[in-house]
Amino acid sequence: MITFDNVSLTYPNGHQGLKNINLEIPKGEFVVVVGLSGAGKSTLIRSINQMVRPTEGRLLIEEEDSLAMNTKNLRLLRRDIGMIFQNYNLVKRSSVLRNVLSGRLGYTSTLKSILNLFSKEDLQYAMECLDRVGIQDKAYQRADTLSGGQQQRVSIARALSQKPKAILADEPVASLDPPTAHAVMQDLQQINKEDQITMVINLHAIDLSMEYADRIIGLRDGEMVFDGKASEVTEQTFEDIYGRAIKEDDLIGEAESE
Amino acid sequence: MANQSKQYNLKNPKGKTYWLKFSVICAILVILYTVAFLFTDLTYRGSGASTGEMIRRMFFDPFFDPVHRENIPENIGYMFETLAIAFAGTLVGAILGIPVGFLAAQNVTGSFSFFGKSILNAIRAFPEIMFAIIFVAAVGFGPYAGVLAISINSIGMLGKLYSEVVESIDMEIVQTLKMTGANKIQVLWYGILPQVIPEFSSYALYRFEIDVRASSILGLVGAGGIGAPLILASQQRNWEEVGVILMIVIVTVTIIDLISTNIRKRIV
Repeated sequence: MITFDNVSLTYPNGHQGLKNINLEIPKGEFVVVVGLSGAGKSTLIRSINQMVRPTEGRLLIEEEDSLAMNTKNLRLLRRDIGMIFQNYNLVKRSSVLRNVLSGRLGYTSTLKSILNLFSKEDLQYAMECLDRVGIQDKAYQRADTLSGGQQQRVSIARALSQKPKAILADEPVASLDPPTAHAVMQDLQQINKEDQITMVINLHAIDLSMEYADRIIGLRDGEMVFDGKASEVTEQTFEDIYGRAIKEDDLIGEAESE
Repeated sequence: MANQSKQYNLKNPKGKTYWLKFSVICAILVILYTVAFLFTDLTYRGSGASTGEMIRRMFFDPFFDPVHRENIPENIGYMFETLAIAFAGTLVGAILGIPVGFLAAQNVTGSFSFFGKSILNAIRAFPEIMFAIIFVAAVGFGPYAGVLAISINSIGMLGKLYSEVVESIDMEIVQTLKMTGANKIQVLWYGILPQVIPEFSSYALYRFEIDVRASSILGLVGAGGIGAPLILASQQRNWEEVGVILMIVIVTVTIIDLISTNIRKRIV
């Protein structure tokens, strides 16, 4: 359970990224955050693991205020939250398996990780994570030899290997072509359903949001302007959130339309 | 049709300024060269040996003179000492350059990197031969002084190049790993080192090439290696011996450059 209690965030340059956000995300929900670029989608997602730090309010994770945590507890908290980025953020020169294993670092002692002494269970689990996203045969290849869709799956496997309670994804499919984007979204949906891992995902494609989300949150200029079930959402809702008419760019297209 | 065609500005509006700048730069260069030649003494003071004669004695005669042929193994021995000095010096420089390089990297130490950059600039302001003279005075004649001189200078250059490599890494990955709950050392080990190690080793190899050449002349001031017999022979005007030594240096340096260039291509 993630609870935003009147959370605001003002950047050092004075720009207000979030304005009085009140939000409750129960365990296992698939939440998609939508809004125009600059609306605060990334800021909202990145506040949850404090990649950016809210300046006001309380942000409760499992009933504990993460903004009041010390460095050590924050590190333990981050261990429980996986994160996926638009640019995959893999170490390109390392092998796929090593990238996935880096998700286990929070659980491994410094000395053991320097000596590359991951436990057999960790290795086994990293391979299982790769298997779940269907690329276990690439485990010993260098990460930069993989296609974009495969690299994003590696980063999903890395997040999974943390055995997280929640996964945050910041525009996970924005760099992928429509069929691959759908495939990656289906992977995330399957993980969400099977493991009851909470998903908080930024998307800008309207059709993707409507297809995969349980719940949609709309942001405009740092304010929450919509919060509702995905089934209740229509294109009109998006026009309200965006404050303008829907354009073709806002849609990604069908999985089959190649 | 031709008359109706749209009016484009076919003349680069910056054309005039370009030629003005060009003429000013040319004028400055002419002045600089005039001054340079006025202050350089280029008068010819002929010596007994003509240049052609010297080149013949250095690079042709030694092959037909059994005395100089006999000296070749001994000189090759000196060359190995030179290589050893270069290798030891590069090794020390390549390792000690790492902490200094990180210290001087803006994205690691922030404004404190000014401190690291100053150390590196101070080191690089000195040529090796100066360090060699200082260390010969401090620790005595021989290769030890040479190794110290080469090490210090290698730290200067490698530290600088390392810091530039570190500054160019993808910081997003560092952030990402931090968000998985990894601690600082783990982030360094899994996020930063894999990104920089190939460039680091490539630069260290390149520096080894430079150090081989540098340590060939350190013997001039008594810091070990092939420079000592070289200076001795040239002071005695023993051009055949000078030729033998130079040829050994040229062949060795060429071989090392070829090998190292090849390895570096594979690394990056």
